Parts: sequence; C-alpha cells; structure tokens
Amino acid sequence: MILDLHLHSELSDDSRAPVEAYLKVLQRKRAERPLDGIVLTEHRQFDLARDYRALEDRYGILILNAAEVETDYGHVLVYGVNPDILARFDFTDVRLPAQELVTEVARLGGVALPCHPGRPTVGLCDHYARKPPLDGVVAVEALNGGSRKGEDARVAELIRQFGYRAYGGSDSHLVSFVGVCATEFDVPIRSVDDLVRELTRGRYRPVDFRPPR
Amino acid sequence: MAARLGFDDVQEGDELAVRSLFLSKDQVRAYARAGGQWSPRFTDDEGARREGLPGMITPGNMSMGLLASFLEDWAGPGTLRRLGTTFRGLVLPDRTIRLCAAVTQKDETARSIELDVWLESDEGERWVLGTATLALA
Amino acid sequence: MPLDLDPAIIGQEFDRTVEGPVTAEELVAFARALGETRPEYTEPGLGLVAHPTYCVRFRGGRFYPESLYKLIDVRRGFDAGKDIQLGEPIRPGDTIEVRSTLHEVYEKTGRTGSMYFVVIRFTLVNQRGDVVAVVDNRFMHR
Repeated sequence: MILDLHLHSELSDDSRAPVEAYLKVLQRKRAERPLDGIVLTEHRQFDLARDYRALEDRYGILILNAAEVETDYGHVLVYGVNPDILARFDFTDVRLPAQELVTEVARLGGVALPCHPGRPTVGLCDHYARKPPLDGVVAVEALNGGSRKGEDARVAELIRQFGYRAYGGSDSHLVSFVGVCATEFDVPIRSVDDLVRELTRGRYRPVDFRPPR
Repeated sequence: MAARLGFDDVQEGDELAVRSLFLSKDQVRAYARAGGQWSPRFTDDEGARREGLPGMITPGNMSMGLLASFLEDWAGPGTLRRLGTTFRGLVLPDRTIRLCAAVTQKDETARSIELDVWLESDEGERWVLGTATLALA
Repeated sequence: MPLDLDPAIIGQEFDRTVEGPVTAEELVAFARALGETRPEYTEPGLGLVAHPTYCVRFRGGRFYPESLYKLIDVRRGFDAGKDIQLGEPIRPGDTIEVRSTLHEVYEKTGRTGSMYFVVIRFTLVNQRGDVVAVVDNRFMHR
C-alpha cells in the first residue's frame, strides 16, 4: 500500500491545489506514481468535519486527514487528530512545545512525526545540533518532495544515530507534484486508525517516484 | 492579432514545453528600472550583500512577468486572467532558469483552464510556484 | 491577531492614490525588459496595451497602514508572492487609482525562521471606473 503522507490542499495558506485535482493527477500518472491514497496535512489547522468520502468513492483513492504544525523543534506532522488532541493543542500556535506534542499525541491516540528534518530552521537536524533530542519520536521524513539539494542527505545520519523509522511524502503545494515521494506500507491501510497503528509499529519505507535528472 | 489557443485544443494533464533561458544581470537591472524597483538588492552585488543577501537577486515581480509571458506565448496575448505565485527561494541572475507549466483543470462553463506554473533552476530546485487561469476561445 | 494589531483594520481601506498617466514608453520598456517582442506589448500605437503583470508596478501612496509601520521594520522585508486578477487592459494615457487595504496578517515559520506575513490588497481602477487588476501582495518580515 503506497500513500503520500505529506501534502497540502488549497486549505493551506501557501497551496493552490484542489483535492479533486490531486486525484485526477494520480489517475493520469498511475503508471509512474502508483499510489493508493493521500494524507492531507494542512498547515496549522484541522477540521474534524472535513469529509472526502464522495471523492474517495468517485476516484477509488484513499483520502485521510492530518495536520502539519510548527513547534520549537521544527515542523511536525500529526496523524490521528481527534477532539482530545485538538483540545490539548492549539494548532495555530507556531511555537508548540515539541516534546509535549510527541508525548501527548501518542497518549491521546495519534502519532506526531517530524517532517523535512534536514530543512534549515524548521527541521529536526538543526535543533538537535543545539538541544537535547526528543523522547518518543518513532519516525522522521527521510524523503520530502520539496527538499533542496543536500537536505534529505542530512537525515540519513539522524536516522542512523537515533534508530528512527523513515517515511516519505511529496510536501506538494501544487497539483502537479502529488506523489513524487511517498511511503510504502507492508499491509493495507483503510482508516486513520490503521495509519496510526502502522506508523507507530508497522513496517514501511519511503519511495521515490521523481524522474531521474 | 496573434493566434490564440482554442479551449478544445487543450487537455487536462497537457504539459507546456519547458522554456530554458539565461537570466543576465543586465536584464534584471533593465527590469528593475522599468519596473520601478531600482534598489541595491536588484542591481548591485555589493549592495545586496550589505542587506545580507548572497548577491543581487531577481525581483519576484520579474519572475512573475517571465511566467506570464511564457503562458501567453503558448495560449495567446490577453488570455491570462489570473496569476498567483509564491516566491520560495532567491532567484539569482547570471544563470539558466527553466519555466514550466501543466494544465490541471478545464472549466467547460467559463471556457478557461487552470495551470500549475513554476520557475526552477537547471538542477530542478523550484524557486517560484504558482497557478494561473487562462481564458481560451 | 499577530503583532497586536487591531482586527478592525483588516479589510479597511487605508490609502487611495492616483498614479499616472501611464506612457507608451513605460509600457514598452517594461515589456522589453521581460524579453517580450509581441507588438501588442512593444509597438507604440493604438493597439499598445500593458504587459499583464504591469499592474504590479502600482503601489499607492503608502505600502502599509500607519499602525503597521510602528510594529514592523518595513525596510527589512521580502516579497513572498503575489496574486493578480486581471481586468481591463492598461493603455497609454490611463491614470490608475490604487485603493489599498490590509487584507491579512499571519505568522508562520520557515527555512529562514519565524516570520510575519502581511497581505496588502491593491485594487486598481482606471479613469473610466474599470477595474484593471486586483493585486494581493504578500510580504514577509521578521
């Protein structure tokens, strides 16, 4: 099962991608990017009422919801967002306490995973250079479709040193780049609960569908 | 009047032929003057470094202008109705840049199309991202 | 509301300034600086119109509302992006009224650190009352 774990729709302030347009691209590019689903990780927000089941049925592609939040250790993707997590953390706060986030989200039934860790300022690598490492991190984003030269390479050392699992995502803000990086899971995923379980304890790996340059 | 692309000539998923061009410092200075943006960061390497930049940079407005011309060269003059861009990185002159676009949606009622547009380096780093709406015949 | 701004100023017009008249020479110089060769944009005459992005050249009498100048060092900002909606073409001889509003202010973190984003909307209207463009300018400041 292959999912793009990190992308933004027009609900995110710097994205211009309607969700349905993402699905059309995945349909057209099925041979090059054989994805089974996407996980929308909107910036600094989460709407429990958001429901894409009609699009899922029409296109046969799984659509799950998550969030990208901003912390004192950089950006973090939160999967399995529920009312308890939303009551505990204000996602609009750009200085969330990362250790509390990782610990509490896990306790409340979700999982919080640092994203683009090699990116300056908002990635974990920069913060680990001068602050204690976070407890409880299970995986980091080893492949990010928006990374600049050298950023993903920094992550390999991070993973080696801390034994983190690795996942991938496109970080797409435009329709055209959906699925260029993704995550391959060993078992099917049908729901957010499945996703949280597999990200926390399952087997998966980042996959790269970018054309060679 | 130059030819305009027809609405029925275009399909969702069509990709425009990439345009590669060498963006010279002289061209950037000419734009800065004509665009009312004559300031050190756009005209002078040393002046730009005093502002904490690596050297003179290309105005975001110029990147937009180049993308707009690229789109209208494909679709015809006057077809551009909307262009939205995010400037993700510094576009340094005296190097080759690539202008790219792909059709993402067709609106049958408005007879308009939506495109993703972006400006990238020769190595594929995307510095300007955006979308555009073109009105076709 | 970031920067302790009064939310009431969001959406309020803070400046209205008339610029121009636009000259053929300005339109041609702008288009040629972009490498344009099409006669619609580069040949003086009755058919000359402005390049579609010429509208970004208009900035009104002040870039920000007065209250923002006290909270932000406006000299240390970067253009984060623009959205332009195009209306009637701009032609030589046009005068353009620039109506400025503070559209949005928000905070986020990125590669270069924590930043405030200020979105200023310019509505450009020609002397005939036609809207020639609506330009949303996003600027980032530390």
